[in-house]
Amino acid sequence: MRAFGINEALFIIAAVRWTLLLSLLAFIGGGIAGLLVALARTAPPAWLRRVAAGYIQVFQGTPLLMQLFLVFFGANLFGANVAPITSAAIALTLNGAAFLGEIWRGCIQAIPTGQWEAATALGMRHLPRMRYVILPQAGKLAIAPTVGFLVLLLKSTSLASIIGFVEVTRAGQIINNVTFRPFLVFGIVAAIYFVLCWPLSLLSQRLEQRFGTVSR
Amino acid sequence: MASGIATGFARRPLAALGLTGLAMAAFGAGQPAAAQSVDDILGRKKLQVGILVDLPPFGVVNASGGYEGYDVDVAKLMAKYLGVELELVPVTGPNRIPYLLTSKVDVLVAIFGITPERARQVQFSIPYSSIDIVLMAPKDSKIANAADLRALKVGVARASTQDTAISAAVPPGTRIMRFDDDATTSQALLSGQIDAIGVNTITGRQIQTMNPTAGYEIKFALRHQPNGITVRRGQTDLLQWTNTFVYFIKNNGELDAICQKWLGVPLPELPVF
Repeated sequence: MRAFGINEALFIIAAVRWTLLLSLLAFIGGGIAGLLVALARTAPPAWLRRVAAGYIQVFQGTPLLMQLFLVFFGANLFGANVAPITSAAIALTLNGAAFLGEIWRGCIQAIPTGQWEAATALGMRHLPRMRYVILPQAGKLAIAPTVGFLVLLLKSTSLASIIGFVEVTRAGQIINNVTFRPFLVFGIVAAIYFVLCWPLSLLSQRLEQRFGTVSR
Repeated sequence: MASGIATGFARRPLAALGLTGLAMAAFGAGQPAAAQSVDDILGRKKLQVGILVDLPPFGVVNASGGYEGYDVDVAKLMAKYLGVELELVPVTGPNRIPYLLTSKVDVLVAIFGITPERARQVQFSIPYSSIDIVLMAPKDSKIANAADLRALKVGVARASTQDTAISAAVPPGTRIMRFDDDATTSQALLSGQIDAIGVNTITGRQIQTMNPTAGYEIKFALRHQPNGITVRRGQTDLLQWTNTFVYFIKNNGELDAICQKWLGVPLPELPVF
């Protein structure tokens, strides 16, 4: 057993970069894939909408923990040896795409029918209509809930500790097992998450006030 | 626009079934992607060893963020005698078998107690260390044997040998509470959420020093646990080398030195098979 000192605190704080990196990777990956999901979800062909809906159902309906486990250990069954951070980023991307896709689908569908009809009346087909009329307006609506989701995503990176990826939570577990000071250790871990998430929540609120309404 | 929602929902059971199948394949089959021999390790010039980093004094993070401990020293010796570089891979109690079976590590030096149940999935070398699993409880609780645990709450670290030992020993009606690691389980004991704890004697001593006034004491011994270095099944070549290695460091005093360094006692009599 060891006393909790500056080195122990630094070990936990140093792991913040891994939490941030993983969040960033998952947000970029999830954002790109999520946009495709949202577009598929609102596309004219019925089969495309069904495929996207099925995807969302699978990833929203199963625990992220299982998804992490399956990607990390499952990849080896196909001969690929992926590093913990890669598989965590892949799992969080797949998961984030489902949630972001559904959030953005809502934003797209929140654009009043009149806008769709006006674009169609101007002779626009589906893609230009999305590109020039719907998405710019939906994007404004989407900003606040997207930042809100980022808070959730940042906290769900803690689940990557299950596959042995040493981010803030896992670093806390490791230090707790040498110092046996759970309240102190997990108090610090919780404070770190708060410091990371609170500004995002504030930002989300401000953005919502600024962009949260559609002009009808 | 909204018609896609309703149709999408109906497909869920099928997809869920597919995912379950994948999960079963991941854990049930457990066949390594590629069998590894000593030659493969020599050719790669690197030995990947899975170690626990949260069980002092066997594997622990030191002040500078590196890993040290009994198991780490054994792993270092292993790499030294193979003449290859060592890569330590931190694993946890619950995920160490998946790490090994999916070829993410070559061997586990992870205080892995030798049991026939585990030997259905992995192969053990002859013992290189041992710990004793005991039941600890506050002095004033009247527990003399396993039968007294009825209607009590007993905490153990999930997927550990104490989990197996407690699960086999207690009478029906005992509530076994499984936590992620020893530190969490110890905390549950200290805060009174559990009445007794199944734990190894080394962690047990730490619990006693953490709260001397509560007077935690060993109520009875559960299991003497010799630990083996672990390889995937079918890797006879690597297992034979590992046995030779353990035999050698037991005889030349190097293992004894490691034991003295971390546990402060001479190497106990270790059985062989």
